[in-house]
Amino acid sequence: MSNGNGKRFLKPGKYLMMGNVAMAEGALSSGLKFFGGYPITPSTEVIEHLAKRLPEVGGCCMQMEDELASINAVMGASLVGAKAMTATSGPGLSLMTETISMAANIEIPFVFCDVQRCGPGTGFVTVPHHNDVGLTRFAGNGEFEVIAFAPMSCQELFDLTITAFNYAETYRCPIFILSDAYLGHIHEVVNIPPKEEILKRVIDRTIPEDTKGAKFTYEDINTHKLMIPKPYIVGTEFCPPLIIHLPHNQDGVLMPEENSLRFMKIMIDKIRDNIDKISLTEEYKLDDAEIIIISYGLPVRASYRAVDLARKKGIKVGIFRLITVWPFPKEKVKKVVVGAKAIIVPEMNYTGVIAEQVERVTDLNIPIIKVPKVATLHHPDDILKAIEEVAK
Amino acid sequence: MSDDIRYPSEKPEHPYLDSSFSGMLLGTLVSRFCAGCGYGSIGQLYTRVFEDEKLDPNLYPLVIGIGCYSQIFFLVHKNAQKMLTLHGRAPAIATGMKMANPKMKPIIFSGDGDCLGIGGNHFIHLCRRNLDCILFIFNNSIYGMTGGQAAPTTLYGAISTTTPYKMFEPRSDGVELALAAGASYVARTTIAHPRTLMKYFKKALKHKGTSVIEVITPCVTYFGRKNLDNLGSEGEPGEIMDTGGKMFEWIKKNSIHINQAKFMSKEELFNKYIIGEFRYNPSKSEYSEEYKKIQNIAMKGD
Ligand SMILES: Cc1ncc(C[n+]2csc(CCOP(=O)(O)OP(=O)(O)O)c2C)c(N)n1
Ligand code: SF4
Repeated sequence: MSNGNGKRFLKPGKYLMMGNVAMAEGALSSGLKFFGGYPITPSTEVIEHLAKRLPEVGGCCMQMEDELASINAVMGASLVGAKAMTATSGPGLSLMTETISMAANIEIPFVFCDVQRCGPGTGFVTVPHHNDVGLTRFAGNGEFEVIAFAPMSCQELFDLTITAFNYAETYRCPIFILSDAYLGHIHEVVNIPPKEEILKRVIDRTIPEDTKGAKFTYEDINTHKLMIPKPYIVGTEFCPPLIIHLPHNQDGVLMPEENSLRFMKIMIDKIRDNIDKISLTEEYKLDDAEIIIISYGLPVRASYRAVDLARKKGIKVGIFRLITVWPFPKEKVKKVVVGAKAIIVPEMNYTGVIAEQVERVTDLNIPIIKVPKVATLHHPDDILKAIEEVAK
Repeated sequence: MSDDIRYPSEKPEHPYLDSSFSGMLLGTLVSRFCAGCGYGSIGQLYTRVFEDEKLDPNLYPLVIGIGCYSQIFFLVHKNAQKMLTLHGRAPAIATGMKMANPKMKPIIFSGDGDCLGIGGNHFIHLCRRNLDCILFIFNNSIYGMTGGQAAPTTLYGAISTTTPYKMFEPRSDGVELALAAGASYVARTTIAHPRTLMKYFKKALKHKGTSVIEVITPCVTYFGRKNLDNLGSEGEPGEIMDTGGKMFEWIKKNSIHINQAKFMSKEELFNKYIIGEFRYNPSKSEYSEEYKKIQNIAMKGD
């Protein structure tokens, strides 16, 4: 009998796909083998699609009893070597944070898709609100860094999910895909590349030849660089004898309490040291820009249009887009804003979570203008108005 | 009794010293449990069965919840792949492991608070799915780890730090819950019956489906020291259970075999533990095997 891998990849070509489905197909292309989830609008199409698709490829899709079970089952599956993920929305993510914290500690990789809806509480369930951007950054007790992607189209949901799985294998920290109610539900053309091309990009879960080697991130004594080994797999020889979420060394042996600070440094710096490799950004008409838009996710699309319209009026404005929101690329932003007249941050939340980060790293003299929207999209005119205001 | 009889200077070599994790790490058996606690014996019994049955560590991962018993990892077999997980979540983690690698049969250690309190929902759904694994519930009638608060299993009349007057809530019964939820092998025994415990464990290893084995075990420190062996019931004089021995006797006295219980009234069985095998149904369909059939349907035409 076939192992089902024939169905892992869609036939190459153009498809009209819903965002949630494009994300799920990206995960399947990466070699997803386990999905644990609990229905929640606006993420539900992910579990519905995978309930059909995962058994076709010899994987397992389980509707669990709640989000706590979902995320714990996902962690269990990843512990035994399966590429695993869950998808949820804000209320579900709130429930999952304890396990995210544990997984960060034992460096078990998996991917979350957070299809954000309007909060707080139950809120409006079918409209977007980028209200989990802060929650993902601090999802769980303890200190650790996360990586979060902010796609803005169905094509990106497909492509960035593959990148997200690769990052999970490489950096072994919680990985989020920040989608939202509109992005998850729009239908757009997605170009699926041939499977050979996809396979070239995918990092597989394999165990190293030397199973005696390190299982957890450690500091190399000669170079003082942090080394992140491949994730261990329970049920193989490449597994520590005890997995425990307390500060531990590279073999999983507990550290004395007084070394806890050293452990936190490892948890945090394994990401910070690699920020240049991790952080993905995009620039649009920035070369001569005096006004800089910094944004992520869907508002970037409206920003493109706003910039083109403003340029026609002779206003020098450009976009610095965060494709990965976390870790926040502090140094890159610092460089980009040098000499800027003003910074505009359109965000789909009132707080301005990323605007606050920008504030933190820029010159106090540069005005930062927030353009908040909740439960609805930015119209290019909203952003254009802000541009014209500061250009006066 | 003179001290050197109670503590002979030449300690006999422990038969499972070499196979225990503690023996491997430190050359001696280290336990972080209080004197008289039942968890040490449970750790050793697990190691014994692991050795007797020559379990393949790659196929029988040990998933441990959070409670005093978490420290059991020192005493269990050195080769077992052990993981300390989250309070109440061990059944869900084991579910993911089993479904991602169906060759495995996870063994779950959990406490009464862990499994029937915070993790109650996962417990019910594990049993409902009849997922192939073994779930031990260590019932000491109290939250030991956090210092002696009432558990959902705390017996009526018992004093705990959160029931300073007396426990007045009806208790939850792990066996009844497991039966109602659909587990296919359900048994209860006590730490005073170690051979029975090993027998049930070995039977569960051969069984395909969810096996729930509840083990009544003493917490001297937070249950025994604070409670009389009559649990405050009027009429009988009670004695404080401040040693392992006294608790051991109380557990024996308070446990009634299922065959005997059949002839007793509800009142007579109040606050008692019924022990024995409650269900053994090897023909009930098991979750991972059923899922395999779904995969076969889905893969058709591949
Ligand atoms: C989410 C969460 N809540 C609370 C705790 C604190 N806690 C740790 S162990 C425990 C009780 C354990 O009781 P039980 O399962 O009966 O095991 P015992 O200690 O009696 O062996 C509690 C409440 C925790 N670790 N995690
Ligand atoms: S507190 Fe109770 S359960 Fe915990 S180790 Fe001591 S006797 Fe055992």
